[in-house]
Amino acid sequence: MEKTEFLHKSNTRAFQESIADLFRDNVRGSAMRRALMGYLFIAPTVVSLLVFTILPIIASFGLSFFEWNVIEKARFVGLDNYIKLTHDTRVLRSFLTTAQIVILSVLLQIVVALLLALGVQSIKQRVLRYFFRTIFFIPILTSAASISIVLAYMFDQDFGVINYYLTHIGLPRIPWLNSPHWAMVAVIITYVWQQLGFMFIILTGGISSIPPEVLEAADVDGAHGWKKLVHIQIPMLSPTLLFAAVVGVIGALQIFEIPFVLTNGGPGDATRTVVMIIYESAFQNLQIGYGSAIAFILFVVILSLTAIQFILSRYWVFYQ
Amino acid sequence: MNTRRISRRDFMRNAILTSAGIYMAGCGMSSTSKPASSPTVSSQATHVRMQGTLQIAFVGTQVANSQKVIAQDFEKAHPGVKINFLPIQGKDWNDYFTKILTQIASGSVPDLMTVATEGIQLFAGKGLAYPLDEFVKQDKEAIREYFADVHPSLVEAMMYQGHLYALPFDFNAANMFLNMNLFSQAGIEYPRGNWTKDDFYDIAKKIAALGGDGAPYGYGWVIRLWGSWTPWIYNNRSNLLKEDKWQGGQWLWDTFYPDNPAAKGRSGGWRWGEPIANTPENVEALDFMVQLAKEHITPSISAGGGGLLQGFFTSDKLGMTPAGGFWAGGLHNAGMKPDEFDVQFFPKWQTQRHLFGTAGLVMMEKSKNKDLAWEYIKYWVSKPVMQYILSNNDTTPVRRSLATAKQYANTGPKHWSVFYDTLTKFPDTAPIPAPTWYERMNTIFTKYTSLAMSFSQTPQQALDNMQKEMEQAYEQEGGK
Repeated sequence: MEKTEFLHKSNTRAFQESIADLFRDNVRGSAMRRALMGYLFIAPTVVSLLVFTILPIIASFGLSFFEWNVIEKARFVGLDNYIKLTHDTRVLRSFLTTAQIVILSVLLQIVVALLLALGVQSIKQRVLRYFFRTIFFIPILTSAASISIVLAYMFDQDFGVINYYLTHIGLPRIPWLNSPHWAMVAVIITYVWQQLGFMFIILTGGISSIPPEVLEAADVDGAHGWKKLVHIQIPMLSPTLLFAAVVGVIGALQIFEIPFVLTNGGPGDATRTVVMIIYESAFQNLQIGYGSAIAFILFVVILSLTAIQFILSRYWVFYQ
Repeated sequence: MNTRRISRRDFMRNAILTSAGIYMAGCGMSSTSKPASSPTVSSQATHVRMQGTLQIAFVGTQVANSQKVIAQDFEKAHPGVKINFLPIQGKDWNDYFTKILTQIASGSVPDLMTVATEGIQLFAGKGLAYPLDEFVKQDKEAIREYFADVHPSLVEAMMYQGHLYALPFDFNAANMFLNMNLFSQAGIEYPRGNWTKDDFYDIAKKIAALGGDGAPYGYGWVIRLWGSWTPWIYNNRSNLLKEDKWQGGQWLWDTFYPDNPAAKGRSGGWRWGEPIANTPENVEALDFMVQLAKEHITPSISAGGGGLLQGFFTSDKLGMTPAGGFWAGGLHNAGMKPDEFDVQFFPKWQTQRHLFGTAGLVMMEKSKNKDLAWEYIKYWVSKPVMQYILSNNDTTPVRRSLATAKQYANTGPKHWSVFYDTLTKFPDTAPIPAPTWYERMNTIFTKYTSLAMSFSQTPQQALDNMQKEMEQAYEQEGGK
């Protein structure tokens, strides 16, 4: 092609438009490639969430309308399972028991973890701080079943080490696992102790992120100790506390291993939680549909409580 | 120690190879006389099926060396066969059954699985277990020696609706284990065989009165169906469910126990009827347990396995506990010397009837290797295999010929003969009540026993409530 001919063509409108199209295609192609790359990165999470969480939830919801014992064919029963559970006093009681555990254990976890986190943060020596952080975090790394087995020995009314020391200081032996009241206390103590490390690390992170100049300004203004904690630190920690509360409530609503191993839900049904009832119905009694219905109600309860916590957070959480 | 083990192993291998040869010959011979209408065990099919992989589920965390050895020997005797063990962890039989049912629900079915009395009717009732009748009939000559060595009550416990679902491998009757260190400290003699509930109470009180630092308890038990307070129900002439028997199974008694008086009146298995949890005898039995707890003769009673009890017993904190032959090996492994503990029959109350549980390999209905599975069952219950596997006395062999002084020389107890004599001396001794709805029954039983033992309900209240819930469960399960 001659140079003059090319210059002539490049000045034409058609040529200019074709160059612009090419440029747009390149931009679009690069954006698509970037998007594709993004999808590839999130694919493992999305796929595993779909396969292991969303689909089971949908399947469980579907199963809740059937009567199925695994071996014989499932039979559609409509809302029968849901109607049945509203009359099942054991199920209703298990929700109350779980609620008790949730309220007491989450409150205790947050309060104790906050005090520990504040205490550890106030330690000047870095080595000691790391030492305590590690020590407090260790229980969360240990399986709940193992902890429960060991604590069952420690809580034993007659031969347990806890009562041994209680009697040495003049206190009576406590029927930790043999009284409905004390069995609940034993479950809560064990659960709080096991979960404390998680709350502790979250709150330690929150405390570390409070700008030092804010605390120094509080000191200059004469706010010390309790006043500084209530008026400066806790409000500034409120987003972390919200996270801790939400995660704590979701976890405690699903408590299973500790009461299962420590008390087997007893004495009677004193420590039988909702998940234990789901396990018992679905896998021991092979009432898969009924177990699914209870599981779905628990899912709705968790979802509702989380939503309520976020709604209420508007009134007490302060974002910087 | 090593030398002894190798030599036993070599002996075992030879014995097993020989017995496997006999079995194979037995199969070939009997298959010719088998009716053509039963294709499962035809000689041609046997030839084809002696290939493949057998999946065997059992309760536990790992495969014991003894199991590996005998499986390897079976594989050697059957080229082309592979044995895969599937250990399933469970804190008790109930937990194990739950897990295996879940696994079956997911489509993964083993060919064979270990099942105790607790689960025989559960799996048979749900159509998951496959009856062994045809196999036993076909191989009757080869298997006759086994039945001749096994008490009929154990075989009957493995039957349901007239069909045999397992060949018992081991059993444990609830006898009374005695801590002879504490007996000696309290100046108590080994009790006579026909000791009574009152004798027991006096002994338990004396041991509990020993005092001192960490004073011992006279008697201890844990809440579960087997060996809990249920032996006191049995010896008070009662049960939790109405006892009946299934019809059928006469072919088995006629074939293998024609002249055995202990087989007279045996049936097609135990038929567990409607609940009778709150009979006056049961209330009386639970009341006695509560009395012992209130008098601090027993420690606090909670649910669980026997691990805690064994710890107390071996550390001389417990005088007596209901246990079976499995405790002999357990106490030995925990460091107790043979003369430091002993065993006696359970005390007499209205009667001296005992309860027992037995276990064996159950063939799964969905197994595609049924003939091979049957070969393994026969091999499993053969005397050399049983002797080898149970050499450490962690359970009681069902073969009477293995209840010998030699078997218990290393572990004790001195009165080892009590284990098997329980079956022969008390012919009305029966298995624990384990209907098709065993899992629900066990949950209800555990729940109300724990309420009575925590003094939250009186024995009468607890058993009335137990009865009410069991009636509901019985009705919902179709009264099977």
